[in-house]
Amino acid sequence: MIGAIIGGVASIAGGLFGASAARKRERAAARERARLQGKLNSLEANRQEIINPFQDMSAMISNPFANLSVATGAAEIKIEEADISLANTLDTLRATGASAGGATALANAALRSKKGVAASIEMQEKQNEDKRAAGEKQKQDALMQEGQRVQQGEAWEFGQRESREMQQLDRTASMLGASRQAEAQAASDKTGAITGMFGSLAGIAGGMAGGQ
Amino acid sequence: MENKNLFQNLYLKQFNESNAIAYNERFVSGSSDYNFQLLDNAYRNAGRTYAKLKIAIETNNCISEDCALELTGIKNLEESPQASLDFLSSLIAELSVTEESSFDPNNNYKYTAANSLMNARPGFSKTDGYQAYLDLLPDGSQQVVFLGPAFETPLVINNAALNALLRSDTSLVVSTPDINKDMLRLLTEVGLFSPDMIGENKELTASAKITEEYVMMNPDGSFDYEIIDLGDGKGRNVLKYDLKKIEKKVTPFINAEVAGLMSSEQDVIAAWNVYISKDTSVEEDAQMAQNANAGASSWIYELDLPLQQDKKVLFEIKYKEYFMNNYLKQFTTNQSPTVKEDAAVFDLAEAKKAKAQKFLDDNDLN
Repeated sequence: MIGAIIGGVASIAGGLFGASAARKRERAAARERARLQGKLNSLEANRQEIINPFQDMSAMISNPFANLSVATGAAEIKIEEADISLANTLDTLRATGASAGGATALANAALRSKKGVAASIEMQEKQNEDKRAAGEKQKQDALMQEGQRVQQGEAWEFGQRESREMQQLDRTASMLGASRQAEAQAASDKTGAITGMFGSLAGIAGGMAGGQ
Repeated sequence: MENKNLFQNLYLKQFNESNAIAYNERFVSGSSDYNFQLLDNAYRNAGRTYAKLKIAIETNNCISEDCALELTGIKNLEESPQASLDFLSSLIAELSVTEESSFDPNNNYKYTAANSLMNARPGFSKTDGYQAYLDLLPDGSQQVVFLGPAFETPLVINNAALNALLRSDTSLVVSTPDINKDMLRLLTEVGLFSPDMIGENKELTASAKITEEYVMMNPDGSFDYEIIDLGDGKGRNVLKYDLKKIEKKVTPFINAEVAGLMSSEQDVIAAWNVYISKDTSVEEDAQMAQNANAGASSWIYELDLPLQQDKKVLFEIKYKEYFMNNYLKQFTTNQSPTVKEDAAVFDLAEAKKAKAQKFLDDNDLN
């Protein structure tokens, strides 16, 4: 029936329908390819960010003993107390008319007390220095560990991203490859159908020549 | 019926599918001429024209300077048979979309009528007042003209225009996306099912179940069942699903699916009109529930393209609902327990009492 509608040779009509079916398949494959591409773009754009559980936390590492202060307040009080005690004792000695030797002994006692306080400060300072050094060593050790951990994290993150992207790429390649193949096959079928029609077109060409 | 175009399309579809013409005595008794002879008529004078041009060139009798017009005419005529075949095959392919089961009747009904004519459907013959021409135009392009009772005004399609549309991945008649196929595939992609539940056909197997990650659990790790009343004092357990978690999981995949569809806004309108707007299926349409398609809430190609943002958002929301209600819901409702002992039918009163007691125990409310 279609032969009459289109006219010309019957095989043209058959070829036309073959070509139109192939063209339809080609269009469908192209649409599918566009749809898949849009979908993949969306998946790529909206996928979750990879959170590195090994992220660098070195900024949080510090030496808690770096700025230890020496507790001089107590020492000052001690010295002050010693001075007051000395002054009070001297006042007592004066009032009771004690000898000068007693005053010297008192002064020596006060001096010893002050030396003791100075020694205590010095010891505190030494202890603090030791703590500072130990703290610094701990900090360096922790920084080194953190550095190694961060390196591991970067490797992990790279691996994750690489793996995801490879999956996406594989999938894209696979799907797009399939739709392109379908498109190419349909295009080839269409060409075949149209080539077949050219034999029939000889009639039309003959008609043209006949017009001369 | 919501609009004239919709009515015309549905009428033509029904007319072609109904076989009613077989019972029309006037048609059966008369002869029908379907001999439109598109190519014969188009090329009837082509030979003569070609010869005249050739002779003019060879005898230096050209009208134009350097025979430019004559040479162009020769070139056009030499290329036109191939162009005609390409044009007609493209046109037939486009018009054949009107025969698809999921065809959106909001497409221009004239294409449905033209397809009936091209396929020599009863009632679309020359005898019935129809005519079709293929014209070779002076600018080298070609056009097909359809005329007849179903066409209020002639339908004219130019091959240069059609080629331009097709090259830009635009259809004359849009083929509705196969939403059923898309959603069955989407089910396997949303990450709710383990890979062993996907069959060779890339669809879920009959026994597929959502993985336990999405099943509600009690604090002690046992399943938190819902009890179904079977009647006669009996009941049974069904799994309860964490629907919020499921929705969170599937949403990015649905959004990506919609983004894929949006690569062709024609497709979005077709999917909206045929399926999404009113939650309808092809089967419903096939049952001739004519309003099963979007009807009054249809989006109109001529008016609604390009799609406004609010329509895109609405489509995404409704697409998700369609997927959740028509495809995913069957996997989240009435699912038997995976633990064999929990799947048995039991006495309802006792089970309810036990469940209440368990709640009291778990929450230290005794």
